[in-house]
Amino acid sequence: MVSSPYFSLLVLFVAALGFGLAPLGLAWLWGKAFSPAKPNKIKNAIYECGLESRGDAWVQFRSAYYLYAIIFLIFDVEAVFLLPFAVAFTGLGAAACGAMLVFVLMLVEGLAWAWGKGVLTWA
Amino acid sequence: MKTVEEIKAAIEAAVPDARVEIVANPSVSGQHSLRLTPSRAIEVATFLRDGLKFDYLSNVTGVDWPDKEIAEKVKVTREVTKVEDGVEQTAQETVEETRKRVEPGCLEAVYHLYSMSLKQGPLVLRMRTLNRTDQAELPSLTPVWRSAEFQEREIWDLYGIVFSGHPDLRRLLMWDGFKDHPMRRDYVEPDDFEYEPTAHDDVLKRAEAHRAAHATAGAAGHEATGGEQ
Amino acid sequence: MAVEEGLKIELGKQGVLVTTIEELYNWGRRSSIWPMQFGLACCAIEMIATTMARYDLARFGAEVFRPSPRQADLMIISGTVTKKMAPQVVRLYNQMAEPKYVIAMGACAISGGPFKQGYNVLKGIDRYIPVDVHIPGCPPRPEALLQAFMTLQKKIDAQPLTGEGRPRHLDAEAQGEFPVPVQGEHDLEPTSNPGVWTVPVVIR
Repeated sequence: MVSSPYFSLLVLFVAALGFGLAPLGLAWLWGKAFSPAKPNKIKNAIYECGLESRGDAWVQFRSAYYLYAIIFLIFDVEAVFLLPFAVAFTGLGAAACGAMLVFVLMLVEGLAWAWGKGVLTWA
Repeated sequence: MKTVEEIKAAIEAAVPDARVEIVANPSVSGQHSLRLTPSRAIEVATFLRDGLKFDYLSNVTGVDWPDKEIAEKVKVTREVTKVEDGVEQTAQETVEETRKRVEPGCLEAVYHLYSMSLKQGPLVLRMRTLNRTDQAELPSLTPVWRSAEFQEREIWDLYGIVFSGHPDLRRLLMWDGFKDHPMRRDYVEPDDFEYEPTAHDDVLKRAEAHRAAHATAGAAGHEATGGEQ
Repeated sequence: MAVEEGLKIELGKQGVLVTTIEELYNWGRRSSIWPMQFGLACCAIEMIATTMARYDLARFGAEVFRPSPRQADLMIISGTVTKKMAPQVVRLYNQMAEPKYVIAMGACAISGGPFKQGYNVLKGIDRYIPVDVHIPGCPPRPEALLQAFMTLQKKIDAQPLTGEGRPRHLDAEAQGEFPVPVQGEHDLEPTSNPGVWTVPVVIR
């Protein structure tokens, strides 16, 4: 085992792990031994903004919020695919251009639909 | 720019039963204002916005007019019966009398309007409540100008004017459970004047009053609790 | 137990470092004070300036402003504490892990300042939580905040690990919870925490 070429790597790995874990363990031991825990209700509260939390975190959001997410995706995905297309534009044939045009047109159709639905107007 | 008189005439022509009163400003600026009757205020405001194009409400503020005791000297003529030479005579006599009357206070909301499209302004509107206690109610102009919303909330918070028709009349600056209206003249601050190292004027008086009240209470408390501090 | 100062310097010249657990522990604590990231009023602008390149709070190991009270060691009360905000500040202080320190920055935080007689302003945050360093000024310059940091570091350095004057987190008896004031009908209730603040004696 000692002759294995990976043995030195294992030693290094254990050393690295120990280097990270030893201070954490020491700090934990120190805390256990010397600094008594003083939990209380305020300290253990989940919310950390100073305000008292009330109600439930599991509330329903209006579906209108998700429409914005979908429209964001339209533009986002468009940019993701358009960028490599633009980079490789000079080396592409007419078929690739046509395919891209169809793709963009589909997204534009989605945008037009959303626009017609009135999703883009605030309030 | 139209003068307030012209605006007053225009309002009265458009909203027939609206009574508008000009409050003159005697200072150099001469910025006279219009006092509306609260009952027709919404109609007048809508006319000002749509008819006279006052499309921008820049500022809403409150004024507290406490009950004022006015002492005035009045000349009173009365009949005095005198006995002169054994004959009763009635004579007129003019005496100067000091009479005191209490002018009831009120709360006032002041609106500053501008016209962005006509580059005019400011036009100052005022509305007064009937009194300062149970009838401190005014119509909200938030349905006409959205920018009044927070400022009317602030006035409700600090002066206690109830704006009927306001979409969301909650306190703005103080917390919800707060009961007072701190910008009123008769607001009494909570007595926390126990530590005022550099007190002067009113604060000194309050601090001394606190100390005097606390010295007796503190001595009694000392015996009960066996001495604090 | 402790090594004599002169001997320590002499040994240091010879290339031998001598220290105690206490020194090492306090050195670690004072060299990585993480403040909590929040500002209350205009003093916060000066606090931000202190962290920027010109004044560079990082020299004191305190550049890591934590947005969560659980990870912060220091609360800088930077500005006016209104009565509406005071319960939140006290609650955040309660949520911080020990050891925790407080710097009251500016006239408002230490006494209410120019707004002291206002109906909405707390007359000093030290009525509810223990303050370690007060900085006067309106607002204090960044140098003053640096001075406060150095004062706090000296204070941490001087804290023994055992016995009288040890930091609160090493003391099982020390107060762990500071009551959060309730917003009452006319004022905060109570108006101060008697365990933290008693009326100072004014000598006239």
